[in-house]
Amino acid sequence: MISYSKFLTLSAALALVAISPQLGAEPATFATRVAPVLEKNCTGCHGENKQKGGLRLDTFAHVMRGSDDRVVVKAGDFSTSELHRRIILPASDEDVMPSDGKPLLSSADIALLEKWIAAGAPATEPFDAPALARLPITSSAAPDYRPRLAAATALAQKLGVRLVPRSIVPTDGLILRTASAPTQCTDAVLAQLAPVADLIVEAELARTKITDAGLASLALCPNLQILDLTQTAVTAQGLGALHLLKNLGVLNLTNTAADKTTAASLKNLPSLHRLWLFGTPADPVIAKPAAAVVK
Amino acid sequence: MASPHPLQPDLCSDHGGEHPTIWDLPNIPLGLKQEWLNLETRRHFLGRGAKALAWAGLASILGRSLPRALANESSSAPLLPHFAPKAKRAIYLFMAGAPSQFETWDYKPGLSSMFNQDLPESVRGGQQLTGMTASQTRFPVAPSFYKFAQHGQAGRWCSELFPYTAKVSDELCVIKSLHTEAINHEPAILSITTGNMFPGKPSVGAWLSYGLGAINDELPTFVVMISKMPIQVNVQALSNRLWSSGFLSPEHAAVALRSGSNPVLHLKDPPGVDRSVRRAMIDGVNDLNHQLFDRVGDPEINARISQYEMAFRMQTSVPELTNFSDEPSSTWDLYGPKAKEPGTFAYNCLMARRLAERGVRFSQVFLRSWDQHNNLPTNIKILAEDSDRPTQGLIADLKRRGMLDDTLVIWGGEFGRTVYSQGALKPQDYGRDHHPRCFSMWLAGGGVKPGISYGETDDFSYNIAKDPVHIRDLHATMLHQFGFDHERLTHKFQGLEQKLTGVLPARVIRDILL
Repeated sequence: MISYSKFLTLSAALALVAISPQLGAEPATFATRVAPVLEKNCTGCHGENKQKGGLRLDTFAHVMRGSDDRVVVKAGDFSTSELHRRIILPASDEDVMPSDGKPLLSSADIALLEKWIAAGAPATEPFDAPALARLPITSSAAPDYRPRLAAATALAQKLGVRLVPRSIVPTDGLILRTASAPTQCTDAVLAQLAPVADLIVEAELARTKITDAGLASLALCPNLQILDLTQTAVTAQGLGALHLLKNLGVLNLTNTAADKTTAASLKNLPSLHRLWLFGTPADPVIAKPAAAVVK
Repeated sequence: MASPHPLQPDLCSDHGGEHPTIWDLPNIPLGLKQEWLNLETRRHFLGRGAKALAWAGLASILGRSLPRALANESSSAPLLPHFAPKAKRAIYLFMAGAPSQFETWDYKPGLSSMFNQDLPESVRGGQQLTGMTASQTRFPVAPSFYKFAQHGQAGRWCSELFPYTAKVSDELCVIKSLHTEAINHEPAILSITTGNMFPGKPSVGAWLSYGLGAINDELPTFVVMISKMPIQVNVQALSNRLWSSGFLSPEHAAVALRSGSNPVLHLKDPPGVDRSVRRAMIDGVNDLNHQLFDRVGDPEINARISQYEMAFRMQTSVPELTNFSDEPSSTWDLYGPKAKEPGTFAYNCLMARRLAERGVRFSQVFLRSWDQHNNLPTNIKILAEDSDRPTQGLIADLKRRGMLDDTLVIWGGEFGRTVYSQGALKPQDYGRDHHPRCFSMWLAGGGVKPGISYGETDDFSYNIAKDPVHIRDLHATMLHQFGFDHERLTHKFQGLEQKLTGVLPARVIRDILL
């Protein structure tokens, strides 16, 4: 078995860049953390262009002014703040916000607003906010899939694979899924996915018939973040084609023929932070004589 | 006038359309019509004898699923996560019977000097005890018979009962402050598997199946395995109410793999029956079921069709799944030799990894006999020896294959045990009664912070001192790792937006998440 850290020492040529928690470094204020949540979820109806109920949520002053008939944020107490009451209602409640079936706020966004209100709803001073998720999966992983989802689904079905949204967030991208019939997924299938290549953020290709030729198709998925090639016929040489994938963070090569030259093939992947080589010639446990491995 | 109701039952010949029925009448609330359907069914059953039996059977199916049909559930298409998930699948190692926290994960060094002293009344706080110890005149403190030592970079105190698991201690997040309401096994195990102590609610795995759908259509989304026990003491029965789909469509219930050499019965085609014959038979049955569906519109019929199809697909997917000959020799080093014996906990751990690899969302492995009211030091050691090595093997195997990042592993029972001895206390022999106020579990992988502990109990592990985690909070956290806001993964049933976490407040334990 090979761990990430061992692999690093094994191959200095492979410049893996750890994910830096850059987002978390900035102090949490209304402008840096609260305003983006309001903008994402609220200001379409409560902003400069529309002011439903006389409420605008696009500036600090407007938020604190409230709607025509009431204050919506009571500094220091989110439990009596109308804004908070509306966003925690179940989807079926007629008072819930956002209304009209639009996606509700995530628990993380709700928790953030709670922290901000509880801290006295400061205008500019920092407050103690929940840390941002550290994983590189951000809110804008790929272009909006909505206009192309039906076509992508149909194409996948025709090819005997599946393309499923990672979440209801339209920019979270699609997962290429093959586990139901991995042997049906060939290099030719991958080549035909070209029209939706930019939507694919994750490719589950374990035990498929993919070879180095298929990697060339994958190299055209600019938003690919996670790639599982477990038990496929790819080689270190073919992996060189992946150098175009600036967002590729996780690569699983378990039980492939990836050898010592893999490191050189992957050296230009700036986002790669997880690499799995169990059961490959590049795995130092396997590479040692059998007698030395026995515990 | 068009049929007022999609389920207008053409149940009996005497309602063959000539006469208006209650379904034709306006201004009658649906609930009353439903009541009528039930009464009508009973009346006909009593009045018409044997021929009515078949119809009564159908009506009972209809009666059961009426609310769902009324809610106009469109199909069993999965929902989508509310946000990008960290975990794709979970493996839940369920230690049924409730392992003691004292000998496992809640190290209490201070107790060793208090052997046989009475538990202060102030700690117990007048708590009502079970009938098993309520009549005891004394509540003598029983320190752990087993020693602890620090392991890993995090320096976690691990019990000598788990020398293997201690090796992966840095992968674990131990929660010491779980609590639940129930003090007896059945309500407690139902609570932690389904979120409610009353039977009939969907299990966690069923909710995940409902929300996420399958990764691999050839296998069930939710699988349960009940392990052979190395010792049988105070064994509670497990039944499918712990892994049922409740009010969700039946296809979300777990498929329970048997613990023998034949994990799914009747999966092989009988001699002389080849695949095409089997296919033709299933097509015939499906055709009949489709006709029935067209007539009565009950989505449960579609669920049945999908179950026949699943069984057919499993005829090819299960033999490959259960054929361990493709495992490298290092597998047996990890899980131990018992992993070759079907039905053992070790075998099931390896099977769980194989299921996870093939895309099964939720595998729940049960190991029973942790209900150690007496002879605890002897019996807990037997269970630990049976489970320790494969548990570590599973974690290490998932990790080396790059699967631990997106597989959430859960270890734990249904409640904790008392600090005081049940029955006579001897240095090397004691028992512990049920204790719902605090217990320990651990999580690993799936976006949970490795190498940490969360929550603290008091010096007697009797009350929670810091960061309580109700099992609702655990459920909310599990759903969160699969991309769901637990408040919004709902299913309308009996007029309520039902959810795994119920109606009381639940919180995601963010402090333990990456």
